[in-house]
Amino acid sequence: MAELFDYDESREAVSAAKVRALEALLIKKGVLGSDSVDAVLSHFETVAGPFNGARIVARAWLDSAYKCRLLEDTPKAIAELNFPGMNGAEGEHMKAVANSESVHNLVICTLCSCYPWPMLGLPPYWYKDPVFRSRGVREPRAVLREFGVPISADKEVRVWDSSAQIRWFVIPERPAHSEHLTETQLAALVTPEAMMGVALVPAPTAA
Amino acid sequence: MKLPHYLGGLENLGPVNFFEKKVFMADWEKRIFGIHTVMMAESTHLANALPKYPIAQVPTTFKETWTWASLRTGAESMQPFEYFKYRYYEKWLMGISQFFIDRGYVAAKELATLTEHYRANPDAPLPEHPNPALKEQVVRYLHHGDSGLRTPVIPARFTIGDTVYVADPEAADHTRLPGFLRNKKGTVTEAYPGAFEYFVSTGPDGLAGPHHVYCVLFKASDIWGADKSEPNTVIYADLFDAYLKPAH
Repeated sequence: MAELFDYDESREAVSAAKVRALEALLIKKGVLGSDSVDAVLSHFETVAGPFNGARIVARAWLDSAYKCRLLEDTPKAIAELNFPGMNGAEGEHMKAVANSESVHNLVICTLCSCYPWPMLGLPPYWYKDPVFRSRGVREPRAVLREFGVPISADKEVRVWDSSAQIRWFVIPERPAHSEHLTETQLAALVTPEAMMGVALVPAPTAA
Repeated sequence: MKLPHYLGGLENLGPVNFFEKKVFMADWEKRIFGIHTVMMAESTHLANALPKYPIAQVPTTFKETWTWASLRTGAESMQPFEYFKYRYYEKWLMGISQFFIDRGYVAAKELATLTEHYRANPDAPLPEHPNPALKEQVVRYLHHGDSGLRTPVIPARFTIGDTVYVADPEAADHTRLPGFLRNKKGTVTEAYPGAFEYFVSTGPDGLAGPHHVYCVLFKASDIWGADKSEPNTVIYADLFDAYLKPAH
């Protein structure tokens, strides 16, 4: 599959030139300002990104009452932390689900690429991959095995297809041997993949 | 049966391209993502959105409605075998360029000529015309979004625990009903408070105006068959009321 995305240089160069020409014409015609696209991109570097999700998950690990509130009323619990823009574009209605000893959650969007922007930023390519979107609902356990996440048969697998207003994310299980870590250190272990349910959070490596 | 509506459940596809964790495969993809997002942020429909944005006061020549539905309808209306030939943001670039040509903002010829110019001079600069008031609207939109939450006009038809069947509406240009769920039996696990209006009417597909939305639980065995599904596996989907039928 990887080679399908690996195009020859001229195909990339044509797309690069075309998008630049389009942006230039739209600026000239007053549809965009020359600072408009950069304003969008800067938002995903500083305001909306997986750094938010990681901090919220770490908080939930450290404070079980907070975790309960996050599962009960996700937007309200997120608002407690006063991060900016957390009910903004593609995060207007977010909901958390938690992995546990008996449940493993996997988030998918079979129709397109719905993703909780304020929590996680923009979706990585694997999430948009038609193969993931096809197989994730039919054989999630096989897909998870390929991703290095074997789920035992006695654990329930729950797949969440994001087809209306809710944008789902996963609170992964807290790794073993992480009792001594601070919130910041815990947050550093949490990846976008773990918050979509296709990865686990590994135990911290010994210092 | 439209292939882009039926991705969920296709078999014999080989491994997932998991290792590609990058969001953008090439730098140019960032620019088309940004153009699309600015278009959503200055779309005329935001004057009536939650919150009510001061769109009429934003200095822009863009006088169109542009939402996720515009992009998705374009992608879903592609000939499906063509659809799979292109990378994600290549489809965006094709759809958005064509939209500006069709709506008369840009002439096909000037786009082609300028593309040749940037092809020959990749580092040639963009015009320098900042638009602070538009930038402010872009930031406002990203921070406050465009919720479809509306006041319900009729009571919810279903409640938690109800058995429901998924409808099988006519294949339309655009849908929010995953194809693999059509005609399947599920159980309502949540009736979301309020009602939700999708960006557009989907015509014979059934979305128009505000609908209640339900979280519906399906057993994998009820979808794929007991001997063709993985054990101990369930699928949840958020479904608009129009896509559901009562069990009786």
